Amino acid sequence: MDNLEPKPKAPATGPPGAPDGCAACGAEGRQREGTVLGRKLSRSRPWVQAGFLGLWLAPAGQWLHGIPGCVFHCYSCPLSAFACPVGVLANYAALLPVAPEAPFLLLGVLLVVAAASGSLVCGWSCPFGFLQDLLGKLTPGKITLPAWTGHTRYAVLAGLVILLPLILGSKGVRFDNQAVSICRLCPAGALEAGLPYSVQGLLTGHGWMMSWFKSALLLAFVAAALFIHRPWCRLFCPLGGLLALFNRFSLFHLRFNPKECVECNLCRSRCSMGVKVDRKVNVSGCIRCLECTTCGAIEPRLAGPKREA
Amino acid sequence: MERVPQPPVNPALRDPERHDFWTGFAIALAGIVLIVCGARHLTAIETVEGGTAWETQLVKAFSSGGLQFPEQLALAPPPRGDDPAALERWARQRAQYSRPTWKVRVDAGATTPCPT
Repeated sequence: MDNLEPKPKAPATGPPGAPDGCAACGAEGRQREGTVLGRKLSRSRPWVQAGFLGLWLAPAGQWLHGIPGCVFHCYSCPLSAFACPVGVLANYAALLPVAPEAPFLLLGVLLVVAAASGSLVCGWSCPFGFLQDLLGKLTPGKITLPAWTGHTRYAVLAGLVILLPLILGSKGVRFDNQAVSICRLCPAGALEAGLPYSVQGLLTGHGWMMSWFKSALLLAFVAAALFIHRPWCRLFCPLGGLLALFNRFSLFHLRFNPKECVECNLCRSRCSMGVKVDRKVNVSGCIRCLECTTCGAIEPRLAGPKREA
Repeated sequence: MERVPQPPVNPALRDPERHDFWTGFAIALAGIVLIVCGARHLTAIETVEGGTAWETQLVKAFSSGGLQFPEQLALAPPPRGDDPAALERWARQRAQYSRPTWKVRVDAGATTPCPT
């Protein structure tokens, strides 16, 4: 194997809170090219996320609600540009017993995004992920969840987004009237739609419009986001789970360069999603925030028709 | 982002993770075909105006409460009280009422902000 060749040893792990990349320098102390790129990516990510937020918040009005988006953003939000793909999928499932229709647009959008970049949109353009990142910055310590917890996303996808609406729909309960559904449990809906309408209701004298259950859910979510890094993405996001399944095949991917690895441990310690980056990096638990690329040995790549060396 | 101490990495255990271009390319191509099909897809669902709904209209209907079901247009229950005029009006409506033949239809002009 080509990754067994000897490498210069660097200090195993820098102290917690140490400046980025201090252990990722070469033996001579100079910074490697990959490290510089990784640090640039890490610094620019919040700005890119903020830029995409402007795109999802309908700068041109609400005229694209007929097109499913590729990020988790509630279509009931007064400022949403696209339809929420999860809500659209659940609606299709509920409609299936009454009027079987194939969601061509939804599948097409998701396949293109997933094949092009996998879960890159989670780390770089999802507005709800951005919000969780911001909430996470308010508190220093985070609870680390075991990797297997990421599988609950697929239970949410299969159970809440597809099967439950389908079963209730076959019993004649339309999606809007289903007491338990992804939209009724979704914290993004509570935050992006329930909260603005409730505040509007308070201002216009109609009172708090969000149910106590959804309000409590929102509070619980905010509290969780303070102590767990991206709790929704990590545990429940069906869209992130679906996109991440394509991380193995996507044209954009991450590649480990064994010649650049100085065993500094930076890749693994920078990963807030608990991915064992030192073993495999294109996995379903990854949101492709690209923080691991600050180590220099993991490089963002775009696959080409020529086979990689 | 906080740096969390971790056990040392072992590059020897690392999967080389060779990436194939053609798999991703084929999936992306299939996605593009589906988008084109979806954009030109006329569903089997009627619209309120009497035509057939485009897929984009159906997706928009999901987000704006634009799906209509027959039970929404069901006849109102008989009026309470002894108002003979109201009872007569209700009887006339009942005589004229016929259950819709469609199961669901799309109201492309619906603007309910939060259907759920």
